[in-house]
Amino acid sequence: MTDILSALASGFAGALTLSNLGWAFLGVTLGTAVGVLPGIGPALTVAVLLPVTFTLDPTSAFIMFGGIYYGAMYGGSTTSILLNTPGETGSIATAIDGYMMARQGRGAAALTTAAVGSFVAGTLATIALTFFAPLLASVALRFGPAEYFALTILAFTTVSALLGTSLVRGLLSLFLGLALGLVGIDPLTGDARFAFGIPQLLDGIDVVILVIGLFAVGETIYQAWHYGREPLEMVELHDFTGMSREEWRRSWKPWLRGTAIGFPLGVLPCGGTVIPTFLSYLTEKRLSDTPERFGQGAIEGVAGPEAANNAAAAGVLVPLLTLGLPSSATAAIMLAAFQQYGLQPGPLLFSSRPDLVWTLIASLYVGNLMLLVLNLPLAGVWARVMLVPRPLLFGGILVLASLGAYTLNRSMLDLALLYVVGAVGCAMRVYDFPLVPAVLGLVLGPLTEQHFRRAVAISEGDLSIFLTRPISAVLLVAAVLVLTGPRFLRRYERL
Amino acid sequence: MSSRLIVPSVIAVVLIAGVGRASAQPAFEHLRLVAPAAPGGGWDQTARAMQQVLQRAGIARTVSVENIPGAAGLIGLARFIGAEQGNGDTLMASGLIMLGAIVTQRSAVTLRDVTPIARLTGEYEILAVPISSPFKTLEDFIGAFKARPESISWGGGSAGGSDQILAGLIADKVGVDPRRVNYIAFSGGGEALSAILGGQVSVGINGLAEFAAQIEAGSVRVLGISSAERLPGLNVPTLREQGIDIEFENWRAVVAPPGLTAGDRQRLEAAVDAMVRSEAWRETLTRFRWIDRYLAGDAFVRFVDAEEARVRDILTRLGTGGEDAPTVSAAGPYPIIVLAGLSLCALAVVVRRDKSQNPHPKSHALGLGHWDLGCDRSRPIALVAAGLVLDLVLAERAGFVIASAVLFWFVARAFDPRHPLRDAAFAVTVSIGAYVLFGRVLDLPLPAGVLTGWL
Repeated sequence: MTDILSALASGFAGALTLSNLGWAFLGVTLGTAVGVLPGIGPALTVAVLLPVTFTLDPTSAFIMFGGIYYGAMYGGSTTSILLNTPGETGSIATAIDGYMMARQGRGAAALTTAAVGSFVAGTLATIALTFFAPLLASVALRFGPAEYFALTILAFTTVSALLGTSLVRGLLSLFLGLALGLVGIDPLTGDARFAFGIPQLLDGIDVVILVIGLFAVGETIYQAWHYGREPLEMVELHDFTGMSREEWRRSWKPWLRGTAIGFPLGVLPCGGTVIPTFLSYLTEKRLSDTPERFGQGAIEGVAGPEAANNAAAAGVLVPLLTLGLPSSATAAIMLAAFQQYGLQPGPLLFSSRPDLVWTLIASLYVGNLMLLVLNLPLAGVWARVMLVPRPLLFGGILVLASLGAYTLNRSMLDLALLYVVGAVGCAMRVYDFPLVPAVLGLVLGPLTEQHFRRAVAISEGDLSIFLTRPISAVLLVAAVLVLTGPRFLRRYERL
Repeated sequence: MSSRLIVPSVIAVVLIAGVGRASAQPAFEHLRLVAPAAPGGGWDQTARAMQQVLQRAGIARTVSVENIPGAAGLIGLARFIGAEQGNGDTLMASGLIMLGAIVTQRSAVTLRDVTPIARLTGEYEILAVPISSPFKTLEDFIGAFKARPESISWGGGSAGGSDQILAGLIADKVGVDPRRVNYIAFSGGGEALSAILGGQVSVGINGLAEFAAQIEAGSVRVLGISSAERLPGLNVPTLREQGIDIEFENWRAVVAPPGLTAGDRQRLEAAVDAMVRSEAWRETLTRFRWIDRYLAGDAFVRFVDAEEARVRDILTRLGTGGEDAPTVSAAGPYPIIVLAGLSLCALAVVVRRDKSQNPHPKSHALGLGHWDLGCDRSRPIALVAAGLVLDLVLAERAGFVIASAVLFWFVARAFDPRHPLRDAAFAVTVSIGAYVLFGRVLDLPLPAGVLTGWL
């Protein structure tokens, strides 16, 4: 323990130089700006900035990358809350209640709980990274395909919290997502499925296209449809000051629970930040005394997922730094960046280049604090985006959405797909279908299928593997409890 | 707002300063490199390493890298052949995995359609088990594999890639039908490596670079390496010295577009040759643990032909890209379940129409103020639709700025019958601003279109 503290102290000594603070600041600002733009995530940003850093020494470069990484996680929440346009999959859960809050004029409160929650989660998760990284990494290795399958099944139960008014409509939305997930090369055999001979479909339908299409484009088309029938609603801002005392009281527990859910799931390489954010959303709704407020602007529904999102981002660094395992696209690029400098992240990195690792970890603390300082005052400013005249706002949203979708693969097909999905999203709004189950279906469906088939192939077709492996069995039982528990409890209360 | 603009301009200054250092009289004013993969992968690393060396050695004044990811390089290959015909200042990274994808996807475009320039690097493959594994030697392992092939799970990278090809070659050499290899494809290097380290699979098969840190730390036991001879500085037995006569590497190469003049081809070959001979390239090879496998000219063409035959043969016998699906990890009933569920739910929604009477509750529930302008019901949505269609038509023909301005203007018009000129001013400003910020400063690929010379 004292070893770690003294190493961390020397790390801070390295990170707190004026130039390194400057790089951290540049990183978090750039990351926030890029996270705001739908479709352009931290992975692409780090890749674009790699050549710039050839001239920097590795420590400064990684401080900047750490800043970009954390900053992008912050930036994603802003567009989700204000414009119902999640920039990446990790902030979809935030959009559900965050956007409702913004429409009720409570955008500043939603942004504040997101910013403080991200800070709390980021800091706690970085502390956990500092002290328990090797231990956590060895636990993560015990997860095999069977465990990941059970985890995705648990994640599927979150759909139950997002079904909306009708079970059948929710399920149709879910199956739509699952069906879209079938498109593309079957990763286990390499055979193309449902690609209809179109090469651009071989890699499947990008989740980002579905998210931007359903949310940003769909919302704009829907507003146009609606505007033809009724006048536009105006938003009146309630406050610029951030959160009320009541909102603080309701937020702090979701922050902590979100961290507890997000960090361990971030350590596991499993589908990025989607699973932790939705599990956090489900947890908050299940624990709430007033679950009916969820979907109508419940601050807990913003606080929990945002904390989970940032905690998971810190969790991803655990396998990267301790084992050299990249478990997300950004981590893969960070790994490539390490190699640019002739460094090999792995079991020996902590002993071979302690100076670099500890300065990086120290700068994560610094970057987190910087993001809070940067974002808290801006919450009120950003919230005024809701006052921009709607014609200009919707025009701007569509331009950014098309930019994000096109740059993803430089493909006109993606752009066309974006607009088709947008039209579908409008129709789903008109006929009252929930949107989020479709996104969950597209993200979780392929993961579930792959892990199931991998597990069964390893066990040579023996299905009992899911119940004989303890972690997998526990996760599956938890999934059953989440689905049947509330009904069971209600019956018990009635007796 | 201003802080978001200042920061990228700082980056721009850094970029320009970095570029300005190139020495005098470069062979190319500007060279474009296409990485047919997402950032972070092997081809991306190859392209970015080349970018660095070509600039530093003064062979090209500026070098740009474009990522065209998708389908193990096939999207990039098709785009390269279609769009770069005859361009003498463009190169694309390629390699063994692209050959594998061409075979498994029965691709219409192949490496015969491009101008081969040179093979650059190779990465050997490693067969490894976790320290706790019962297999102490390759002999133990092969014994168990021959006794009951399906009981051995081989964890590695994507289906049809170099890892699976080597697994098939090994099975074939030891007299087991490659179709009986229980190969578990993982989607990324990290996923495969964590399954190997965690003992989730019987044996791991992956590139030397992926395993390097684990070998150094002693957390895996290497059963064999696919090189012809033992590598200096790495105390690892080869497959060949243990009786499995295979030499195999995941090679990477550069190719040029089809339809080049002889002069253009020579210029590109000379540039690559100069790059490979530079001191900076030596450093890069050591840094990435790549092996120098430079091979140019006719010898390279013959090598590609031989590799294609070998890959085609083994992948067909593995069952990928052949007519039948492989036995162990077949797709099964999942797609049918999903499609059946979709149809059933759709049917149920159509039958039970009663619950659809709640289409837009939100606007009333909030009790907010209104803009009442009273206009034709379908006008707004028709304008948005027109904007979207025009954007699709114009995006690559007229360029991003014009298409976006048109899109913005139509959408704004949809919600606002009163200020056409104000909307137009904003449309142009936002489009140009977005283009400059993302296309120029962050260097994202946006089509410049007819305004190429202006922006």
